[in-house]
Amino acid sequence: MTRPTLAIAGLTACFGCQLTLFNCEAELPTLAECFDFTYFPMGNSRHDIGGEFSAALVEGAVSTPDDLETLIRLRSRSRILIAFGTCARWGGVAAMNNHLSREAMAESVYGKGTVLTGSFNPGPLDRFVTVDFSITGCPPEKNELLATLAALLHGTLPVFPQYPVCTECRNRECLCLLIERGEPCLGPITQAGCNARCPAVSIKCEGCRGPVTEANVASELEMLQEKGISREELIRRMRRFYPEWDYGQRA
Amino acid sequence: MVRHFLPDNSLGQFLDGLSLFGALHGPVRTTEGVEVFGPVRTESDLLLNYRRTLIPPKKYLLPPRQTILNYTVAAGYTLPDEPEPHIILFGVHPCDLQGIAYLDRVFLGDRPDRLYRRRREAITLVGLSCEPDEFCFCTSDENIPRNADLFLQHVEHGFLVSAVTSKGEEMLDGLGKLLASSRITPQTSAEHRMMTRIREVARSGKTFPDSPLWERFAARCLSCGACSVCCPTCYCFDVLENGALDGTTADRFREWDNCLFRAHGEVAGGTNFRPDRRERFHYRYLHKYLGFGTLAGVPACVGCGRCRVVCPVDIDLTELFTEDGDACS
Repeated sequence: MTRPTLAIAGLTACFGCQLTLFNCEAELPTLAECFDFTYFPMGNSRHDIGGEFSAALVEGAVSTPDDLETLIRLRSRSRILIAFGTCARWGGVAAMNNHLSREAMAESVYGKGTVLTGSFNPGPLDRFVTVDFSITGCPPEKNELLATLAALLHGTLPVFPQYPVCTECRNRECLCLLIERGEPCLGPITQAGCNARCPAVSIKCEGCRGPVTEANVASELEMLQEKGISREELIRRMRRFYPEWDYGQRA
Repeated sequence: MVRHFLPDNSLGQFLDGLSLFGALHGPVRTTEGVEVFGPVRTESDLLLNYRRTLIPPKKYLLPPRQTILNYTVAAGYTLPDEPEPHIILFGVHPCDLQGIAYLDRVFLGDRPDRLYRRRREAITLVGLSCEPDEFCFCTSDENIPRNADLFLQHVEHGFLVSAVTSKGEEMLDGLGKLLASSRITPQTSAEHRMMTRIREVARSGKTFPDSPLWERFAARCLSCGACSVCCPTCYCFDVLENGALDGTTADRFREWDNCLFRAHGEVAGGTNFRPDRRERFHYRYLHKYLGFGTLAGVPACVGCGRCRVVCPVDIDLTELFTEDGDACS
């Protein structure tokens, strides 16, 4: 049986998503047997995108002409393109200030008279190419990555939860930081799959996994504003991992 | 029914006696301060005057996520065969006993669920009387299901203990030296008006189609799932299957679902029987209060109050009844 060929690549990103793969220590020998890691600049020394891929896992937002070129080459050579991580799926941290002037931001970092490079506002992969599947998370969860890779071996793709972090938080009988402490927890509008990693240790959800299907954004904002948290503060928090919330959305 | 008096200071020994029959679990407080059913290490862990745990005892019978089938090429699909450990679940309130009785009807009815039955047979229920608070609306004592093996009623300086099943009697046999005969007659409580109202509504099949509350519920609901996770009788589950990295084996599992989730009514091709939250609320109401299938006319609500306590946006389906010209508060 020929092994599935994989491309694993990063665009504008911290490479933390790809690190998730390396963190699967127990499974790495099996993965090395099961897959041909054909293109994986972070993991091997071959740096040319040649051949065809059963699947490409692409981390990061698209924000430069080089990013776009890499993405299009991977797309055109891959049967399945997977947005790997929150930046690739939603824009992520790189996109949090997309509402500000690029000139002003460049000036604040590099000083007056800065000439902008060809970079543009960071955006998710599906703004530019067709994306077949996503593994969200900043960083993604190991078990979702492994479930995806296992599914590829079975010729399919996994089904991930379509409910918010709250459900997993309640299932684990954690203290509700919203109700019991009045904290601006983003659990109700954030995609589950992390098994309430942060609320389980009494840290409010920061929304790193991006919006859940049919997030009731308007109701979340109303509820938190009733607790005395300002709309500006809430929007600032929400924008950290996804800049394009529809604040009036109820379904 | 014979009732025995167990003085407060003998409770520790009584619990030691019970734990000979299985691992002792009961209402305890987590380090974060959440009241849950969990393992009891010492008597002082037990919350004897608790109101309600976050999740009801259903988690022992139908866990949030459970492997239901294993697949191998050679054997096909097989039922997992791990034995279930014996558990003595102490301190189950009447509402939660009623919740278990309802789940038993669902899972042990005409087509018994083998995994549920295995867990159910491994659990011994020790009931405990309670004091209601403003969130609950319990059923009357006459309607308390007789499914606890033992039942303890708080009285002054101790408990009245009654053995309800033969298993309960067997457990009491070895504990006789701790018990005294008792002539105390426990107080009975009347049914809460809200529960009476719910039974009336279930009988009449009222659906409140024109109530403005449906839209208000739908606009606020976050679909967070808390109401069903914490409900003693919500048993909907989703079934999923994950292939393993060996490329040949797989596990099929079930996990708790919620009728307010989009995926609950979604079928192949993305079509949805209940595309918006308003319809999902209506469906929740129909199932929870009117019942359907073989349980039509049987309200599933046991009045524990959990859904009212855990909703982050204060949705309370019982407002439908109070709005209908009947103040049940």
